Amino acid sequence: MTALPGFRSAPASRRSLLARLRGGWPAYLFLLPTLLLVGYFSYFPAYTAITRAFTDWDGLNVPTFTGLENFQRAVTDPVMGQATLNMAIWVGLGLLLAVVPPLLISELIFHLRGKKRQYAYRTLFVLPIVIPSLVLLLVWGAFYRSDGLLNALLGAVGLEGLRHDWLSDPDTALLSLIFLGFPYVDAFNFLLLYAGLQNIPDEVFDAARIDGATGWRRVLRIDLPLLRPQLGLIALLAIIGNVQYFISPLVLTSGGPGFATTVPALLMYQTATRDGEYGYAMAMAVLLMIVVVALTGLSRLLGRGNR
Amino acid sequence: MNRRTALTALLLGSSALLSAAHAAPGTWRGTITMVAADYTPNFPGVKNQLKVFQQIANEYEKKYPGIKIKFHTEPIPDTNTMIRVKAAAGELFDVYWAQAYSLNSTLPKGVAADLAPAFRQPNPYIPGNKAWQDVMDKAQLAEGRNPSGAVYTLSGDRVVYTIFYNKDLFKKAGISKAPTSWAELIAASKKLQAAGVYPMHAVPAYPWWSRHFLSDLYSKDYAKLTGYDGLPGQSPLDEAVAIHKGILTPKDPRFMSWWPTMKQFTDTWPRDYLTADPGKNYDAFQDFVGQKEAMLYEGSYKTREMLDAGVKFPVGAFNFPRLTKKESPYATGVNTANAYTGTGGFQYAMSTPLANKSMREKGKTQAVLDWMRYFGTPKNLQRLTAEQGTYVPTWPGTTAKLALSNFDAAAIQAQIKQPERSIGVANASANLGWGDMQRVFGLYLSGNITLDQAKQQAQTVLDRAAADYARKNKVDLSKY
Repeated sequence: MTALPGFRSAPASRRSLLARLRGGWPAYLFLLPTLLLVGYFSYFPAYTAITRAFTDWDGLNVPTFTGLENFQRAVTDPVMGQATLNMAIWVGLGLLLAVVPPLLISELIFHLRGKKRQYAYRTLFVLPIVIPSLVLLLVWGAFYRSDGLLNALLGAVGLEGLRHDWLSDPDTALLSLIFLGFPYVDAFNFLLLYAGLQNIPDEVFDAARIDGATGWRRVLRIDLPLLRPQLGLIALLAIIGNVQYFISPLVLTSGGPGFATTVPALLMYQTATRDGEYGYAMAMAVLLMIVVVALTGLSRLLGRGNR
Repeated sequence: MNRRTALTALLLGSSALLSAAHAAPGTWRGTITMVAADYTPNFPGVKNQLKVFQQIANEYEKKYPGIKIKFHTEPIPDTNTMIRVKAAAGELFDVYWAQAYSLNSTLPKGVAADLAPAFRQPNPYIPGNKAWQDVMDKAQLAEGRNPSGAVYTLSGDRVVYTIFYNKDLFKKAGISKAPTSWAELIAASKKLQAAGVYPMHAVPAYPWWSRHFLSDLYSKDYAKLTGYDGLPGQSPLDEAVAIHKGILTPKDPRFMSWWPTMKQFTDTWPRDYLTADPGKNYDAFQDFVGQKEAMLYEGSYKTREMLDAGVKFPVGAFNFPRLTKKESPYATGVNTANAYTGTGGFQYAMSTPLANKSMREKGKTQAVLDWMRYFGTPKNLQRLTAEQGTYVPTWPGTTAKLALSNFDAAAIQAQIKQPERSIGVANASANLGWGDMQRVFGLYLSGNITLDQAKQQAQTVLDRAAADYARKNKVDLSKY
């Protein structure tokens, strides 16, 4: 009797770990440098962050163990409270922006007639990826100025009343940063969804057409269910990315006006680099990691529940 | 030996070496590295090259063959990050520029040696000197002192802050003379605004502006507010105690009585920068040089940058206008033009063996200290500041020689002659909370919160700052 594909034979499963290592030594040998580097540069810093989160550490001298003091300080700090709220808004809206515009654009381009036309539009939306993100941020910072492009455009189309100090008003600063980057089409997400649409067999579309599923009905009944793996991945990466993100508030607003655009990751960065409180900053990092794990778990759970 | 014991031994060792150090550099021979900051000789790309520090180094090298002085001539965009990173690797420069308040608060302890024992000993390069500190500015020495008594920097100069203005733009707006009162300053700003010129275009930095106002409003309490530590000048400890007592806080009616006046002024500025971080003030200078704004509130070091930028239009300077009862019922009317004179370019720290492995070499600490003693004399300070031309030397007997020949410098020269009596809050050390105060200040100036809301927020910021200061420095504020 031969073993079924995908199942290990009984003797193999009983082989000792040592024997298996010995058997696959060339592969392990090739993996070893990578594993060592990953261990040293990824896992060791994470271990350091977790252990030093319980200490008072200035980045140079011997850390002093302070127990849960840093965590207590972080969860009772009113600034951290506002930063967490800002992060929640950012994660929620960021999730929408990560999914909806790229989905819309990939649908529109995928159903364009003519391969050349599809290629041209695809290139047009992917091309901005070559612009360094910092340049993009600075350009948008200039757009948002009181005498910037946005206000000039509003004035030009007769919407003078909508002109605004976008980044210096606490009511609009956070939204301005979240919506920075019009037309919000993340090239990576767009390509992922476009590739997902390309993977749907033509027969499925043909069958759907025969059954009368066209337009929005086809998107809802065929495209979205079949794009679930891509959408799940995008959602996951968007959550992780937005919880950890702090570059635009750092560059454009320093977390202000007041603390209107402060997010926990920025607070962590400033606590370490500006205030020199590495132990406290690491406690914030650990709290952020817990949030990322919890949100990731939740999104996986919701994704599984819909299947 | 564990790390803690090793660190203690190193720090004690370095202190012992300092206190035992004598004039002669001993037997150590090698290269001393130094970050001279704004006094760097032969800095690449600078039109008006400085030479004096190199000359001083040459004289020292001639005196002690075998010792070389090497200046770091690359730009350092973020000093504190450089110090942290290089210290963590044990490769910090032997002598380096750093702000005293950063060394006292946010930078790790152990990156700079305590120079206080050396300051109490004679400097053999100053004839007849009994203690090096005798030639120094006593208030500046006290202001840089750590609550533990340590002094991490050899400080000898200050930045003078003043209001520069573009005479052409003033003329264009129909303003014939520089303002001398707040009423005139606000009226001039409105005229400039009406003429389509930005009066100012900057982040109104709380640590700078507040010093002028508070030094006036609290002038009658100057002795009390600077005396909690028993030393001249307002130290971070003096500041923390005054916050703790509710004097330098919104609980005192004087504290924020000037905010509405400042708001009247900033209401004529473009709003983009009102809520921003003063670290993002870079457009202000560019806009002044580009003639987009008429005034620039800046340090005397900008005069040199203006020369380097090839400014052709006539530049004048006028001092911070005196306050009257119109601006605040608590105004005392004293001249506070010289109240903000921040620490300057001659502000040098010495590495410890912890931050700089080469300092563990036998005799190197004494040699480096000897080099600091050599250049740290009033005579050499005078030579350096006179050549650089943008900082004011603070040691008794030294005189300011600012390189302002192309500018109408009468106001700055007059300002320097004023006594330096300065009261500030939230800015003497980083953990006294100026960053958060700046946020409240910006929100108020931009009209996003009322004065009462600002008072409430400022009180919270200052209470937390004083508590942080006390916790970090293990100080019992209630003792005072």
